[in-house]
Amino acid sequence: MKLLKRIPLWAWPVIALAALAVLFVLPGGVKANFNVSNEFVLQPVIKLPKIGPVDLSITKGVIYLWVAVVVVCLFAALVNRGLKARPGRLQVALEGLYELARYGIAGSVMKEGSDVTWFPYIGGAFFFILVCNLCGLIPLPFGERHQLSFYAATGNLNVTLTLALCTFVFTQYAGIHKKGAVGYVKSWIIPSAPPVLKQFIFVMHIISEFFRLVSLSVRLFANMLAGHAILGVFFAMALVFQSYLIAVVLQAGSVTLYLFEIFIAAIQAFIFAILSAVYVSSAIEDEE
Amino acid sequence: MDAHAAKLLGAGLAIGLGVFGPGIGLGSMVGSALESIARQPELRGEIRTNMFIGIGIIEALALYAFVVSLILLFVVK
Repeated sequence: MKLLKRIPLWAWPVIALAALAVLFVLPGGVKANFNVSNEFVLQPVIKLPKIGPVDLSITKGVIYLWVAVVVVCLFAALVNRGLKARPGRLQVALEGLYELARYGIAGSVMKEGSDVTWFPYIGGAFFFILVCNLCGLIPLPFGERHQLSFYAATGNLNVTLTLALCTFVFTQYAGIHKKGAVGYVKSWIIPSAPPVLKQFIFVMHIISEFFRLVSLSVRLFANMLAGHAILGVFFAMALVFQSYLIAVVLQAGSVTLYLFEIFIAAIQAFIFAILSAVYVSSAIEDEE
Repeated sequence: MDAHAAKLLGAGLAIGLGVFGPGIGLGSMVGSALESIARQPELRGEIRTNMFIGIGIIEALALYAFVVSLILLFVVK
């Protein structure tokens, strides 16, 4: 330790540069081919027969989905069983998340009353997507040759489209339940608009209902896909460049990006839940 | 220019130009949200919620460009 303290401050950058220079000179490791798009091809881990057009094979996407479901259920059961008046660490963390979902998302967007009705769906979607996104960052051995690889279940358009369809169906259900089928369709017409514009707005509203479906699903899907593609490229670029210098720099970058991806995972779950809440409450509430 | 080069160029241009507009939009959106939080810190929670709604909607535009460029790269033969 004393020896380290004796080195003057100006020497540290020189040492660092020298180390980088040595790394630059060292011959690189094994050359390997890497194609990011291969990471997103779903090979069946367990082969199952097809039923009609539906392939029932279990891919790594399905496994990640199961992992997420198990984690959500386990956490809920564990915390529910051991509820204490003086909470432990886990309980405090999950209570914080619950409060975010209950008061930060459902409570802040919806009116009093309807937030109680719709919180189970919105909170469920929030927790499920959050855990799905976070589980996607854990490498599991379900790659092509059983190597470690990560894959977010929400980085698949089928999963996110299903989630968005839930929101879409619940939105229509909430509107029809509240106003009746005729009243719900009538609420799309703005009575104060001039006649030609009125029909135009009506058509635009129908189109926008479907575009919500697209944007809700594609946003989550593209975010997770882009994040995983960037992470994959950063982790594997050292193999392609065959240089220890680039490997050191890129690994530092990939750790930073990994932390950023954790942030993105939380933000995307939050945005999905809050937009679901906005859509459902827009169907329920009357525009004044 | 052969078809493959055109495809790659198109994919790059799609994501590059497609991120341009949403980037400006996000900047002005977050900027004004922070400004209003600085002005009225007691409304922080509400402003943040609305900011995230806006971010989600603006961000979707950039992601459409991303999906288009992915389609150009991997789906278009």
